Amino acid sequence: MGLKFKIEKVLKKFPYNISFEIRDNIVFLYGEVESYQDWVEIGLAVGKIKGVEGVVNKIKWKGYPEEKIRKREERRRKLYEENKDKIIGEYDVVIIGGGVIGTIIARELSKYKLKIALLEKGSDVSLGASKANNGMIHPGVAPPKNTLKRKLNVKGNAMYDRLCEELGVRFKRVGSLWLITPRTLQKYRKYLPGPLYKFVSAYVFPYIVKLKGIRNGVKGIKVIRGKKIFEYEPKATRDAWAALYVPSTGILDPYELVVALAENAQANGVEIHLNTEVVGFIKKEDKVKGVVTTKGTFLTRYVVNAAGVYADEIAELAGAREYTIHPRKGVILLFDKALKDWVRHCVTELRFPAPKHSKGGGINPSIHGNILWGPTAVEIPDKDDTSVHREEIYEVLERYKNILPEFPTNKLIRYFAGVRAPTFTEAFIIRPAKWVRNFLHVAGIQSPGLASAPAIAEYAIEQLKKMGLKLEPNPNFNPRREPIPTINEMSLEELNAKIKEDPRWGNIICPCEMVSEMEIVEAIKRGAKTLDAIKRRTRAGMGTCQGSYCTLKIAEILSRELGVPLSEIVKENNGKLFDGTVRGEKL
Amino acid sequence: MKDIVIIGGGPSGMAAAVRLAEKGYDVAIIERKEELGGILDQCIHDGFGTKIFGVALSGPEFAGEFIEQVQKLGIDVYLKTYVKSVEASGKVKEIITVSPDGVEIIKTKSIVYAIGCRERHQFEIKIGGTRPAGVYTAGMVQRLVNLYGILPGKNVVIVGGGDVGMIVARHLYLEGVDSILVVFPEEFFAGLPRNVQQCILDFGIPYRPRTVVKEIVGKDRVEGVILVQVDEKWNPISGTEEFYPCDAVILSVGLVPYTKKLTDIGAEIDPRTKGPIVNEFFETTVRGVFAAGNLVQIFDYVDDAVESAYLAAEGVEKYLRGEERLERPIFINPGENVRTLTPHRVEWKDERPITAFMRPAIEGKAWIIVRNERGEILEKSFRRYVRPSTLERIEISRDILENAEEVFIDVRGL
Ligand SMILES: Cc1cc2nc3c(=O)[nH]c(=O)nc-3n(C[C@H](O)[C@H](O)[C@H](O)COP(=O)(O)OP(=O)(O)OC[C@H]3O[C@@H](n4cnc5c(N)ncnc54)[C@H](O)[C@@H]3O)c2cc1C
Ligand SMILES: Cc1cc2nc3c(=O)[nH]c(=O)nc-3n(C[C@H](O)[C@H](O)[C@H](O)COP(=O)(O)OP(=O)(O)OC[C@H]3O[C@@H](n4cnc5c(N)ncnc54)[C@H](O)[C@@H]3O)c2cc1C
Repeated sequence: MGLKFKIEKVLKKFPYNISFEIRDNIVFLYGEVESYQDWVEIGLAVGKIKGVEGVVNKIKWKGYPEEKIRKREERRRKLYEENKDKIIGEYDVVIIGGGVIGTIIARELSKYKLKIALLEKGSDVSLGASKANNGMIHPGVAPPKNTLKRKLNVKGNAMYDRLCEELGVRFKRVGSLWLITPRTLQKYRKYLPGPLYKFVSAYVFPYIVKLKGIRNGVKGIKVIRGKKIFEYEPKATRDAWAALYVPSTGILDPYELVVALAENAQANGVEIHLNTEVVGFIKKEDKVKGVVTTKGTFLTRYVVNAAGVYADEIAELAGAREYTIHPRKGVILLFDKALKDWVRHCVTELRFPAPKHSKGGGINPSIHGNILWGPTAVEIPDKDDTSVHREEIYEVLERYKNILPEFPTNKLIRYFAGVRAPTFTEAFIIRPAKWVRNFLHVAGIQSPGLASAPAIAEYAIEQLKKMGLKLEPNPNFNPRREPIPTINEMSLEELNAKIKEDPRWGNIICPCEMVSEMEIVEAIKRGAKTLDAIKRRTRAGMGTCQGSYCTLKIAEILSRELGVPLSEIVKENNGKLFDGTVRGEKL
Repeated sequence: MKDIVIIGGGPSGMAAAVRLAEKGYDVAIIERKEELGGILDQCIHDGFGTKIFGVALSGPEFAGEFIEQVQKLGIDVYLKTYVKSVEASGKVKEIITVSPDGVEIIKTKSIVYAIGCRERHQFEIKIGGTRPAGVYTAGMVQRLVNLYGILPGKNVVIVGGGDVGMIVARHLYLEGVDSILVVFPEEFFAGLPRNVQQCILDFGIPYRPRTVVKEIVGKDRVEGVILVQVDEKWNPISGTEEFYPCDAVILSVGLVPYTKKLTDIGAEIDPRTKGPIVNEFFETTVRGVFAAGNLVQIFDYVDDAVESAYLAAEGVEKYLRGEERLERPIFINPGENVRTLTPHRVEWKDERPITAFMRPAIEGKAWIIVRNERGEILEKSFRRYVRPSTLERIEISRDILENAEEVFIDVRGL
């Protein structure tokens, strides 16, 4: 029993009494530890062992939120009982989760004659990690060779030009610039005396990285030095000795992509159910028969689990628990568009060895001309914890200030956090469940999940095919989706013609981003029901003043178009925008 | 071709327009909203116009006085019209506007920007925590309550002890919210004593000095805030964090000139006022482009904003007449204990004294001093009481500037 022995050996390194079970190469851990950090460390140590295909970490740490978890389970059970007999319909495939992964699989599946439902618990698609990331389409240098992650990252990256063209999504291959500075190999300085340090840093190390990239299948990597670095990135730190330029890195607006995927999937027949939370499954033997939600039950032949940080709990509800997700928060700072000329590429300062469990992060432009700094990487017990603490803001500012020393950091206009969904094997888990025959896992999709998404969708569909799903082409499939026209990007003639069609194209609601009333109305027509949904579709409220000027105006338009009173308008999910008394309604 | 186009139809924009139209110039006003009046239309409290009209009017009443004159003089007014971009480098300037009527290009000899300011938001003061519904700026709340009759929440925390924060506190008190707490980092309210008495003390509204909101708590909607005490330097004192339940947070943490449109045309910005660099007639660093009102710097009183507009109007006239400028500008720099100072330089030949607006950094009895780079005092005036929250208006005689390259303004406490 090789695996058993290896696990025992690893667990011995920890001062705890941890017991475990192995079932089909899935390791279940039990016991108690002092801290959450230890819980993470043990899971990771076991996850690293060769041959382990999943770690279900049932160890409890001091302060484990027993009560909260019990309440959550109780709530689910109650909702399950209330909804299991309300049949909504019968489907070939039910997809759980409306992030980039759920929607891109839905869109890919809509190429076939299938009845598909996508279930999302939030009030819009893209409310999970898919709305709070750097929007970078990584080239694929970072993932270890021989991994699914590497393969899907490199392939996914290459698929983006066509995908974005079809969906009318902005996409630009700006390239990456990875700086090598006196800090890059700091850890090795003591072994590299005198000029040797600079020589290895500037003339050896870059080629090692380049070689790794080439082996991963990434094309066009260049090593540059001296003045050339500042031709690429004029404001980069002057102490850069060398840099790697990777041309295939792209940027896009992740929620623009997800919304486009959802719209296109819907146009091709996929049903999208928002505010629909999965609370359990109806099973018969080793198959799921129905997916029970807060809206009722969706009978189905296949289930795709793309629930992001909740994928482990969804799997558990289906009896397919093969992994535990250890949520990892990333904080990102966003700077004013006025700084758009400050950064051209996705820039980072290489560090070797890399800081623990992070893609390194850095500074990158957004497709709209803002600048992003981040992300951080912090293990957190609460999957929904997207709070940003002031210390974290300073941490990010401190961490990346070397890259662009002169950057006017006072033009910070927003910060946010997303939660990554790694499993303890840190791998993408895209495979049929071991103990439930018609259940596909698409879990552990952490960074570069966005970059890999198009390839993940194809790969997931191959798996479904292997599981017996019949794929007959949908002759009516239309790959194209028209974006909402953006007046900010129109020529004066185009804009004038639009206004003559409808004067609302000329009524500016958000002056910072120049968004017209008609763009907002169009977003509502396409399904936006909340203030934030409009913001993500039109950028109204995303500029310098962060909505201080336009929020009320947008709320008024929403109220008018949806036919609900202003006092009922929602920011996101269940958050009412205004929650006070309405004049005349008192008493 | 217009003689002058004024961008922004608030009190400053209207004041400049009226002054120039009275002198027979061909003037147009461009305003993005449905009506003239700027932020005054939401300020239903009184206190406007004490300097200009000698009576305390409400915001809309004050604006009404100017709107009437604009109409009487038949000034061209473009409403619901947004300025998309401006080409201002040449003698003939082109303004591209967007409105429900279409795209239009307006040609003009000169421009006055009077587009006011924006409110600072939660991210600029780095409030941490979550980002749920229930966080507002004071201006948004004023509009919400006055124009729509909706209250933002039931239990509110107001951040900021300036005039705006106090006025909003009283307003919500009178509208009947369940509870209010005002917090601010200073030792005492930063606003006018009149407002402290009439808005806070008279109603017994609770407040906490040396306190700020560290974090916002709540998932979809605000459920509370974490308050923390701060020291004299406004640094949080760790260990003093306290959860305070509420369902709305209202920020009144300052106004910032909205200069994006000016930087677009290459005008230079003063990092202190955060408004454009201007000369004594409020001309920006782009020739023939002037700025007035809260776009230049935040004025406490609308009356002062209007005065800046009158000065800009004088400047426009000088520019249109092609009057002579000084061979080289004389710089007016902030010296000791001066937070902000407008204007930044003297560029025109003229007889009249220079009007400057200065925000002191200290409080108490003080001399305001104009000195040269060698420290020689050129002029001084006495003030019984200065404080950072009150903008000081000073006049500098022209004759003392002769031969100077630059002068400094100091505030010296007694
Ligand atoms: C800070 C940060 C930066 C990143 N930067 C990059 C980057 O630059 N490039 C890159 O390639 N990747 C990046 N990533 C990774 C990338 O964002 C993710 O891999 C990707 O968004 C994952 O998408 P998803 O659809 O799997 O998950 P999610 O977007 O989280 O979607 C899961 C969805 O499932 C829904 N759901 C959960 N439970 C239920 C339920 N019970 N019923 C119904 N619905 C449910 C959720 O509401 C959610 O909408 C970053 C991630 C983070 C956090
Ligand atoms: C809450 C509050 C309370 C106050 N209380 C008092 C008081 O009691 N007494 C007092 O004397 N003063 C008070 N003031 C100050 C006074 O109201 C201001 O000093 C004055 O309104 C400034 O006028 P303004 O014309 O510079 O700016 P604004 O009134 O802001 O006008 C600017 C105008 O420009 C328009 N505009 C902006 N961008 C564009 C564009 N791109 N194209 C076209 N148009 C554009 C705007 O819509 C707006 O109408 C108060 C201010 C506030 C916020």
